[in-house]
Amino acid sequence: MASSCSQALRHHVCKSSRILRVHLQKAWPNRSFVLNPAADQQPAVSSPEEEIVIPKKKTWSKEAVLQALASTVNRDPTASDYRFQDDPYLTPKTSSEFKLFSLSQESGRNAAKYFISTYPKYFQKDYAQPHIPCLMPETLEAQIEEVSEAALIERIQMRKVKAAVDLYDQLQQAGTPVSLDVTNQLLDLICFYGDCDPAQENVPEQRNEETEDVQDEPQTKKGRASKASDKLKAAWKENNNAERIFALLSEPNTHSYSALIRGMVKYGAYSKAFSTYTDLLNNQLKADVSTFNALITAAPEVKEKYNEKWELIVDLLKQMAEQKVKPNLLTLNAVLKALRRCGTVGKSQAFPVISEMRALSIDPSLASYNHLLSIFYKPGAPFQGQTDILQEVMNEVSGKSFTPQDPDDAQFFITAVRICLDTKDIEQAYRVHELLGVGENWRLLGNDFQQNIYHARFFSLLCMMENIDVVLKWYRDLVPSVYYPSSNVMRDLLQALDTDNRLDLIPQIWKDLKQLGHGNRQTLVEELLTLMAREKQNQEVQETFAECALDIKKMYDTGDRGKVMMSWTAGSLSDLVSVLLAAQRRQDAWEILKLFKTHNRVPSEELLDKFLTCIKESGDVNQALELVQISAGFCLPGTPKLIQRVQQEFLLSEQQKSMLSDLEIQTFNSD
Amino acid sequence: MYRRLLININQVRNRLIHTHNTRLTLPSTKCKERESFAPVAWAPCAARPLGTSSISFSENKESSTSLSEDKGKTAEENEVNAEVNTDGQRNTEMNEGTEISNATLTSQLETEPVVKPEDRKQVEKTKSGKESLLELLGAMKVEVTTVRKIRPSKTPRMSERPNQEPMESTHSMFQRATAEGSQQHGTLNPELVAAVSAAASTLPNRHQAESELLKQLRKHEAIPDTQRRADIGHIISDMKVGKRPNGRSNVRPTSQIRFDDDGKGYTQDRGITSELDGVRRRKSPFTSKRLNLFAAAAEQDALSDLGPTLWDIDLVNQIVQATNQMPRNGFEEMIQWTKEGRLWLYPINNEAGLEEEASVPFHEHVFLEKHLDESFPQQGPVRHFMELVITGLAKNHHLTVQQKKEHIDWFRDYFRQKEDVLKEAEAYLN
Repeated sequence: MASSCSQALRHHVCKSSRILRVHLQKAWPNRSFVLNPAADQQPAVSSPEEEIVIPKKKTWSKEAVLQALASTVNRDPTASDYRFQDDPYLTPKTSSEFKLFSLSQESGRNAAKYFISTYPKYFQKDYAQPHIPCLMPETLEAQIEEVSEAALIERIQMRKVKAAVDLYDQLQQAGTPVSLDVTNQLLDLICFYGDCDPAQENVPEQRNEETEDVQDEPQTKKGRASKASDKLKAAWKENNNAERIFALLSEPNTHSYSALIRGMVKYGAYSKAFSTYTDLLNNQLKADVSTFNALITAAPEVKEKYNEKWELIVDLLKQMAEQKVKPNLLTLNAVLKALRRCGTVGKSQAFPVISEMRALSIDPSLASYNHLLSIFYKPGAPFQGQTDILQEVMNEVSGKSFTPQDPDDAQFFITAVRICLDTKDIEQAYRVHELLGVGENWRLLGNDFQQNIYHARFFSLLCMMENIDVVLKWYRDLVPSVYYPSSNVMRDLLQALDTDNRLDLIPQIWKDLKQLGHGNRQTLVEELLTLMAREKQNQEVQETFAECALDIKKMYDTGDRGKVMMSWTAGSLSDLVSVLLAAQRRQDAWEILKLFKTHNRVPSEELLDKFLTCIKESGDVNQALELVQISAGFCLPGTPKLIQRVQQEFLLSEQQKSMLSDLEIQTFNSD
Repeated sequence: MYRRLLININQVRNRLIHTHNTRLTLPSTKCKERESFAPVAWAPCAARPLGTSSISFSENKESSTSLSEDKGKTAEENEVNAEVNTDGQRNTEMNEGTEISNATLTSQLETEPVVKPEDRKQVEKTKSGKESLLELLGAMKVEVTTVRKIRPSKTPRMSERPNQEPMESTHSMFQRATAEGSQQHGTLNPELVAAVSAAASTLPNRHQAESELLKQLRKHEAIPDTQRRADIGHIISDMKVGKRPNGRSNVRPTSQIRFDDDGKGYTQDRGITSELDGVRRRKSPFTSKRLNLFAAAAEQDALSDLGPTLWDIDLVNQIVQATNQMPRNGFEEMIQWTKEGRLWLYPINNEAGLEEEASVPFHEHVFLEKHLDESFPQQGPVRHFMELVITGLAKNHHLTVQQKKEHIDWFRDYFRQKEDVLKEAEAYLN
């Protein structure tokens, strides 16, 4: 009944809509263009043939509500990182504090975990009412003592390489057969850890421990180098347990070969991996996709010439196709990564590879784009006519939200912004930054260290290319909630201020500098002083400059505990004096002038000349004389001129006159 | 304008080539003079692919200095001329800058032929050289920029790139313009002075000529600043800062002559029509042809049914470590806790916390008659009672199906135990 009713209704709607459409078209023939699309859709929706599928149940993910709520929260540029919001006292102000606090938080977690795992017997009480497994201590000791396959499986799951190998040997000696699957798992374990017991699991935060914020560029190299050395630390040993156990297998299958080849590639036995692969082919077996991925990664290592490398990769891909192995995203990324080391061949073949994978409905991930960019923009090499590649890549990725699929995904943003910085392409930099805001892409920016590099590059590009208002807008937005600029970047900012003639902002920047912990960077502080002393500003600005200069002087005097003390140079002292003189702070300037003597620096003649002019405005004869004495004390060649000026421009008493003439004679004699 | 220029160039070149043999005595000074002036006068445009004029000028210079390869040269020159021609046609209008340069060039070219007749003496030749020099200097513009934003230290690469982006080339132009401007403040450019003395050394009355030339140069220095500013202002106002449209590959052969941003030809070149053209023609490298190694519909690889291997787990682990997993706000932290199983699930429907009963359909809860099988009497008070019990149980949402069954079982046992009593009371009918 109900269904027939709805059928009738649907027909009616359909008919009436058609009638309506006809009427409308008749009434406004000239507007049919506008109406058509909307009107045409209606019958399509309500056509009786089409089945409307009502889902039985809409399944939401467990976090759906929380995700919806989280999406309503925007970043607060005035707040510090969420990690530190629990304790306002621990809000980091400098990059070193940030590092310290985040690392200590992480290490506290690790310590707790360590104690729970080491002394599980004290943590057995289960407080949680539905049981929460992740809060309970993990079992780190093997429970099964007897020699059996179950015990072997347990040791494999606990990733105890040595114990598992020993047990396997015992089983072999006892003549107990071990199933192929378990043996393969054992091989996986041995190959994965390169026949060594795994070290304590390291936490992502710990990796950046030794990194400093002084300079960005060398550090990335250092970081990479250390990572590479970690990998190479344990090399594949001849006839290790994996090879031995593999040799014991009567009928190794694809999985066994895969484990062995992947282990060999991971631990640098590249040519051996290829010979194992030939072995696999001789045994009439097929390789799996991960084996091919590993071999493609190894391909650039075994060949010398670019062409040969590429031919080997193509050969491997052809064999994949022959063996009906479907490549995956990691294959694409492995090929592109290998092409990075193929010079010009890489440039010509990168795009066909991507098209090939597209045809197999494998969409590139950010790692693929990262490799692509690295192929076309070698760091340090001249880039000619390749600016388009970044643009093309940005056209491809703009507005898309990416999920992490490859460990190299996190390199994309750094690479992209490096290229923007190298090519001075602010437009693309904005697009890169925009992409970062899409969806979950912010996760792909990587860890704190990478975030710092990214923001440093982005911000120095801004300082270079944008006018100061825009730069300051970004500065307020990024610093210090997500980014603690290094002193180099702050110097860029000062230069940007200089070029746009906004030196009046210097006192503000100085406050930030102090807070960011750069108050004792001598070169930076000296640059600041030079900028303030260089030109004469209006009275108000001069006043703030003078305050700022005195603040800087305090920085010289005290010096934070444990930090490097700055030492006065003649340049910085005279800059300071000129700033103070320009603000009519003669007394303060006089104090500074005395510092020349205590720090064994020599003031320049122009400075003393300037000072005398300033004294003259106030008409303080005694100070003028003292100034002359100071000048004479330094044996400056300009002293006679100063004496002359004082004699001419000031009203002197007899005594003072005689003193001056004495000085004159003195200087004359010393000449 | 271009046409005339071209004709001039050709005439001059031919004559130059012929006369050069006769002037063999002087080529060195001639070259020196030209070479020393070329960089000074054309510095702002020499490195950029600015104008046809600058290129033809250098062509001209080349031809005048090279004496041997006449034939090859002319062929090449014709080619260049053809190119110039097309460019000239394309660019119907010219900006001021090029006009100036053209004017200078023509003036120089027009003065050149005076030298040509073979019986002329050296003095006269050099004199005309001097005249041309003066002309050249007179046509020279001192460029001073009012633009503050220059960073020579940060933009060192720009001058090296032959195929620059429009934005950058404006930058570099400013940079050079200022560099020159600053050089010419105060004293004369030492290069100019050197050139002047070199030119003067060819004349008989050397000192006089030199001072004359320098005087002429100083006159330029005396041009008031305001006029210069107006000059550069004019140029700037004429200038269009080209914004490169997205996704268009502007690949040109480097040999091709191209106008700079301040030429009108530029705007025409990148006008709306050409932009539309570009969109139509746009070919992303991402759509390039594939390698054709794999069959398009390769069948899905049989997934290993053993579950994730150690390698898969490690890959996930690596990805997690590489990416930023720090929560940005409280909700994200709660999401993280939910994933770890530390937080009670946020109710997303009315079945939250329904773990053990999740697989039990509702009718198991509601229709409990099937449990009242033959172990209970088919009628009578016990049956009636049990029907009430299952009605109550059907409405009870606190008990699981298992508990309901146990409840019924309890009654079954109970009535079985009390069977005697019930039979006595005639309540147990079967």
